[in-house]
Amino acid sequence: MRRPLALLLPLVAAASLARADLPFEVPGRVETIALPPAPHWVWVGDPLLRRTALVDAGTGRLLGMVSSGFGMPAALFARSRPEIYVPETHYTRGSRGERADVLTIYDAATLAPTGEVVLPAKRAIAATTDGLAALSDDDRFAAIFNLTPATSVSVVDLEARVLSDEIPTPGCSLVYPAGARRFAMLCADGALLLLHLDESGRRAGLARSEPFFDPSEDPVTEKGVRIGERWYFVSFAGRVHEVDLSGESPRFAEPWPLFDDDARSEGWQVGGAQHLAVHEADGRLYALVHRGGPDEHKHPGTEVWVYAAEERRRMRRIELQSPGLTFLGVPIEADGMAGSILDWLLNRVFRSVPELGIDSIAVTQDDDPLLVTVGAFSGGIGTYDARSGEFRGRVFGGNMTNAILQAPSGWGRP
Amino acid sequence: MESIDRWTTRLARRLARGTSRRGFLAALGGILAGGGALPLLPVSRAAAQSRRAAPGEPALELPEGDPEGCAYWRYCAVDGFLASCCGGTHTSCPPGTEMSPLTWLGTCKNPVDGKHYVISYNDCCGKDVCGRCFCRGTEREKPIYVTHKNNDIDWCMGTESVVYNSTVAVVVGVATEEG
Repeated sequence: MRRPLALLLPLVAAASLARADLPFEVPGRVETIALPPAPHWVWVGDPLLRRTALVDAGTGRLLGMVSSGFGMPAALFARSRPEIYVPETHYTRGSRGERADVLTIYDAATLAPTGEVVLPAKRAIAATTDGLAALSDDDRFAAIFNLTPATSVSVVDLEARVLSDEIPTPGCSLVYPAGARRFAMLCADGALLLLHLDESGRRAGLARSEPFFDPSEDPVTEKGVRIGERWYFVSFAGRVHEVDLSGESPRFAEPWPLFDDDARSEGWQVGGAQHLAVHEADGRLYALVHRGGPDEHKHPGTEVWVYAAEERRRMRRIELQSPGLTFLGVPIEADGMAGSILDWLLNRVFRSVPELGIDSIAVTQDDDPLLVTVGAFSGGIGTYDARSGEFRGRVFGGNMTNAILQAPSGWGRP
Repeated sequence: MESIDRWTTRLARRLARGTSRRGFLAALGGILAGGGALPLLPVSRAAAQSRRAAPGEPALELPEGDPEGCAYWRYCAVDGFLASCCGGTHTSCPPGTEMSPLTWLGTCKNPVDGKHYVISYNDCCGKDVCGRCFCRGTEREKPIYVTHKNNDIDWCMGTESVVYNSTVAVVVGVATEEG
């Protein structure tokens, strides 16, 4: 026995020399977001997990998340201070009990709440979030659209962190930023309502335009997008209604068609939950489109058509690939032969299934812009070079559903 | 390859339009397993035998007569989860939920008598989302600012809780004109 032990001793000594102890670490460290945000960071909202997740669409890294309450999780992003605002609805007993609507204020670096403003418990909850809440152009006020189904707007003073007013807006819905002290709304008769605020965030006046579209014949969708002072709304039939809000009164341009006669005869139309996006510096308008019949304005898209907004001309067609599938947030991926089969299934079969198709698009605002695509139930996130249309690949953010997609720019700055 | 593409696309569209979420996922499982949708059929038949078509409505065997499928004629403008797959029926909410008194109205054509009926799509509220039989009907649906014609809105209003579970489709009248 003695000899083998003696032989082992030098080995044990050598091993302990090679393995110095690891430095001790202190539990309790929590990351913060490295601001300013990288250009390809996007927020993806999941109503099942009641959160919106911050994902680097370039690398696929999940960077953090902000919890929300019941409804579709979408945030408002201040550009003049590092704050994020989330309109939330909560019940004291989960799905029942006392209702509380709040606008929660998050620090953009820590993603921790730093305050809240209690709202009238009436905020509109819907399957899409376009127009449900907005920030004034100077970030001073937030407007939250209420629907009970009577329509009104709650105004929050974000500097004083108080509710400054609740303004009834009969017949008019949704809120879009329209200056420092103004929000625009769409009315059931096709008119535009401008809601003016005073310096304290109280109602200064309502100005209603003549109808600029026919809601029964060819309504515009709620998915308005903005380049500078100009808003772009697209009708079910693909007519672009430009609303210039640079002046005291709105100016409406003659609508122009996304689809020429050939495209229309082939059944091309807009569809999906968030079917418009812009790249402001490039002056490009992106529309999620598909071929179909009447009343298919929520049908998922198979292509993105890119337009020069000023010239009102189509520049490019981008054929979309499936954003990929997940199961409970876990990506379904494969390599080699199985990967090829999966890819074929994704692009040739599942992409045309409404439940797995592409509902929403967004475009980042940098000089190497990404076109980002998601489907509410498909789980994955598709990325493309927004200028060339080249498919860059799929990334996964860990959500179970990707119901809301936001690609804000200029947020998270001191 | 092209014809296979066309065939699978057609199949996928038919599945998506003609079946509930449950049916679609079952079929998806079938495709992945290489076995088609056959294994589920006996279950579907057994379920169908325990129910009867309402007088004046299409037979249960037909897609437009099955209240648990998106192709059921009343669901032409439903956007949400079918109460009939969630413990309720096409006219009643699942146990323990509360039916919203406020609602959006659609107009759907009954294929049996050819008449257009006004359908009230009341939401069932107070329990978290059902998750079965998701359907997205958009016939004559309008954006949110035409409130009573919109089905993106959570219509759990005037109820104890705004939390959405599922949706029913109640015939409340004969439409005087299409649309």
